[in-house]
Amino acid sequence: MNEMMTLLSNYNVPAAFWVNIQLTLWSALFSLILGVILVMMRISPVGSLRGFATAFVEFFKNMPLTIIMVFMLLGAFVQLRFQFSSSFSTNFYWLAITGLSLYTSAFVCESLRSGINTVPLGQAEAARSLGLSFFQSAGLIILPQAFRGSVAPLGNTLIALLKNSTVAAAASVATETSSLMKTMIEYNASMIVAVFLIFAIGYVILIIPIGLLTTWLSNTLAVRR
Amino acid sequence: MNRLTKKIFAAVLAVVSLGALAGCGSSTVETSGPKITIGIKFDQPGVGYKEGDSYSGFDVDVARYVAKQLGYSEKQIVWKEAPSAQREALLQNGDVDFIIASYSITADRKKVVDFAGPYFVAGQDLLVRSDDKSITSAKDLNGKNLCTVSGSTSAQVIKDNFAKSVQIMELSGYAECVTALISGTVDAVTTDDIILAGLAHAKGNGLLKVLGKPFTKETYGIGVKKGDSQLVTTINAALKKMVSDGTWQKDLTKETGGTGYTPNKEWNPPTKFNAENSDETVRQ
Amino acid sequence: MTSVSKKAVAEDNSSDSKPLVELDHVDKYYGELHVLKDINLEVKKGEVLVIIGPSGSGKSTLCRTINRLELINSGEIRIDGKPLPQEGKELTKLRAEVGMVFQSFNLFAHKSILDNVTLAPRKVLGLSKEQAEKEAMELLASVGVDTQASKLPAQLSGGQQQRVAIARSLAMHPKVMLFDEPTSALDPEMINEVLDVMVDLAKNGMTMVVVTHEMGFARQAADRVVFMADGQILEQGSPAEFFDHTKTERAKDFLSKILTH
Repeated sequence: MNEMMTLLSNYNVPAAFWVNIQLTLWSALFSLILGVILVMMRISPVGSLRGFATAFVEFFKNMPLTIIMVFMLLGAFVQLRFQFSSSFSTNFYWLAITGLSLYTSAFVCESLRSGINTVPLGQAEAARSLGLSFFQSAGLIILPQAFRGSVAPLGNTLIALLKNSTVAAAASVATETSSLMKTMIEYNASMIVAVFLIFAIGYVILIIPIGLLTTWLSNTLAVRR
Repeated sequence: MNRLTKKIFAAVLAVVSLGALAGCGSSTVETSGPKITIGIKFDQPGVGYKEGDSYSGFDVDVARYVAKQLGYSEKQIVWKEAPSAQREALLQNGDVDFIIASYSITADRKKVVDFAGPYFVAGQDLLVRSDDKSITSAKDLNGKNLCTVSGSTSAQVIKDNFAKSVQIMELSGYAECVTALISGTVDAVTTDDIILAGLAHAKGNGLLKVLGKPFTKETYGIGVKKGDSQLVTTINAALKKMVSDGTWQKDLTKETGGTGYTPNKEWNPPTKFNAENSDETVRQ
Repeated sequence: MTSVSKKAVAEDNSSDSKPLVELDHVDKYYGELHVLKDINLEVKKGEVLVIIGPSGSGKSTLCRTINRLELINSGEIRIDGKPLPQEGKELTKLRAEVGMVFQSFNLFAHKSILDNVTLAPRKVLGLSKEQAEKEAMELLASVGVDTQASKLPAQLSGGQQQRVAIARSLAMHPKVMLFDEPTSALDPEMINEVLDVMVDLAKNGMTMVVVTHEMGFARQAADRVVFMADGQILEQGSPAEFFDHTKTERAKDFLSKILTH
């Protein structure tokens, strides 16, 4: 306990967690937008869009995140000279968010698709027979119900995203938790267990409320049929 | 091959290559007789490096010499990867007999492991392109791009003490940093001078040079399990012999030759093998 | 229960004009299965057509092809003289003119009763919220569920839900209403409250195509009864002709089974 207090006073652990939280929030936003677009493509009547979305999702779902992150850094930036900003830290930050968003959007799409499967086919037929267009029935009828039906898998995806945000270290975001943990171990070899506990407890504190909120929302928003 | 077999084959191949990418995995060569397990780095060319089934680098040379003095032949050595964050645990659990892995002696580490040596005194330095005249010291890095490996604090040392406006890129390995340096994405790579010299020797193709102005003092020791003073004494004797019979200098030249690098003469080769009492790493 | 408002029904009720719905040599397959075999059928404006037949006879499929919820393999379907368009703006416009009531109600489960009825008029016809709600409340009153307007579908009985579904379709002022077994999913005591609404609608001159097993409704409200079996139309005629002078053996057999229950 004393060791943990010493470590906490010597290192700015909350600042590192704040970096992971920011990475998570930005990536959650972008992957949600991208995931909705992908799932709409997957249920669209246009075959080529369905094909593209399926290929995109399968690719990013099955690609290890570390490889995506290393590609963002060595492939997209070093080789292809793609950059968001001439400032390294800003650039790496957004490259990491891009990688996380691409990867997570595949899982958002899959979560939403599982939600769409809970919406009876009759809902879409009723919408279409009333004269609603594809976008209207998707946006007003199918997706709102699908969201309510996929709160639980979306919550799990968010938890996975928060944990995955530590992989941003592979895209040279050096201020996040896993990097700080390595540094702390490097200089405090005698207190490795305490270092580990600090980060484990930190993530538990962040993740348990997400789980509780997910369960509560899932029950509150469930569509009664 | 039918389709299913192909799929399974592809899947196995993918898993195996992932394992290789993650860089975890230890060598377990089956040999007869007693064995000695030595922890080294697998990813530092010129210091501790694994390529296929062969191991090279100055740490490996020292390890082989010490093992020989302890009565183990080359074939009786089992090499095990000792990443920075796992070194103490490997020793505490008895997974390795000793560790030679650019392992700096610090007061904090001495609380949990014992050290023999030192066998080399390194210092943090810079690796730059040979034709780049604009960087002659760490202070010249203002506005430049600097590469180091993830989890290392050497770049932060420069930012905090010498060049406030340096831009830092962290990559997963030193080899990647060298690639970025040669391609011009970064202007310098920083870590201990001997590692940089090894990199320049192994990967530089004559295009890179070590600045040769170390600004920290890193005293490399050989980590052993806490309390094994017998082993510490034996290893220290072996190191003393290695320096006096000229093997130390011969091996160092072999690993860093052709890069214009000479280790800090004031500190090297070490003459006092008393890691237990003094010669601690000095970090700024 | 008040009578279904006349307003919802198309103005021109003359039955001598050209057919509103035409099916011309329509064929449909589910893979190998030939579910609609050379169907030719016309529905005049204001006509109430009741389709009956054993399950699997293709009557529901026929009903669903009329607003292109099911695609056909050959032949042509015309509404008001125009062939059914491909997917796109034209089709959504056409669907808005063809009302559809499903066996399983299909009310939008996440929206209130009032929102169910106002959604399409607002989003498709562009009515203001006030205008749409005013009309919706009138329609809900006419089918007797106006007191439930703020509830969610799951809070209503099956009969109430189906009446809301009818009001939802009527809110689009359709030229023709399709009913796909509207009472088959209902508990027996709720069947009549739905049939009463449909009878009212028929009296007010709505053009209707009704797939049902309710022979009482067919007798009372139909202008013409069509009997289908094995994907074909085997017999058709006025209710009196069909029920009292059944021609085909299949239809006699079917009616004897239904009426003894």
